[in-house]
Amino acid sequence: MDNKKQKLAIIIIAAVFVISAAVSAYMLLSDKGETVEIISGGKVLYTIDISREPDREIVVEYKGKKNVIAIKDHEIYMKEAECPDHTCIKTGKLSKSGVPIVCLPNKLIIKYTDNGSEGDIDATA
Amino acid sequence: MPQRKGSPTQRLTKLALLTALALIIFVVELQIPDIVPIPGVKLGLANIITVYAVYHYKAGEAFMILLVRILLASVYSGNISALIFSLSGGMLCLAGMVCIKRIIDEDHIWVSSVAGAMLHNIGQIFAAVAVMGTWTVFGYLPFLLVSGGIAGTFTGLSAQAVIKKMKGKEKTDRQ
Repeated sequence: MDNKKQKLAIIIIAAVFVISAAVSAYMLLSDKGETVEIISGGKVLYTIDISREPDREIVVEYKGKKNVIAIKDHEIYMKEAECPDHTCIKTGKLSKSGVPIVCLPNKLIIKYTDNGSEGDIDATA
Repeated sequence: MPQRKGSPTQRLTKLALLTALALIIFVVELQIPDIVPIPGVKLGLANIITVYAVYHYKAGEAFMILLVRILLASVYSGNISALIFSLSGGMLCLAGMVCIKRIIDEDHIWVSSVAGAMLHNIGQIFAAVAVMGTWTVFGYLPFLLVSGGIAGTFTGLSAQAVIKKMKGKEKTDRQ
């Protein structure tokens, strides 16, 4: 085996890891604002200013599968989901960390809008 | 390097055995609660077998083990909807590891495992982008790469430990 190539490969892999760790840290620390988007099947259904929204529940249906999203005390979370894994419910309240709530089986995403990024059509919608 | 000894029946039995092992590991891992509630983040211990197979069997054979394992695992977990993510991730991971095998020797198998895990995450994300119809999920990639790097190191080191033990066993068997 070529030792130089092996070392290079290890360095590349380590670099990818470090870069993604840095990007993750950056995403975790960056300010997200107060606007939350609910995206179903690739379309933005709701754009909500979470700091002003009264407590309520939103039902989103995708191909007959229901998801119940709850807003309480200016926090948003998935209350019920008709999917096999319930990962979205376990995610809990949408945090500012930049990790969106995702229900893969029902193609539903709840996330903070990326404010400040140029050419973002969603921000103006 | 691929061992070419043994009759086809012997090889088939070994492949079936490895697949069964991978499935057992998968089912055991199912019982471990999610550490991080992000879709796609998991240990992936069954990939100990994938890494091992890539280094000890032909690419096609490793492919068969992985394909059967993924298909049956999705049946066992009752989460068929996750199949497309496992498949796209698994195939990219396997393809990548078969190439990386040429550069990285067996003593550094954990490096291949890390690369494989990261490729798996990249495959998953592209499947998610296709399924969800939005690039939003792409923002997940850095988190997945970090978790994949950690999980890949862990499975890789496990695979390395297994191979070391097996080599020791082979020696004592011959004596």
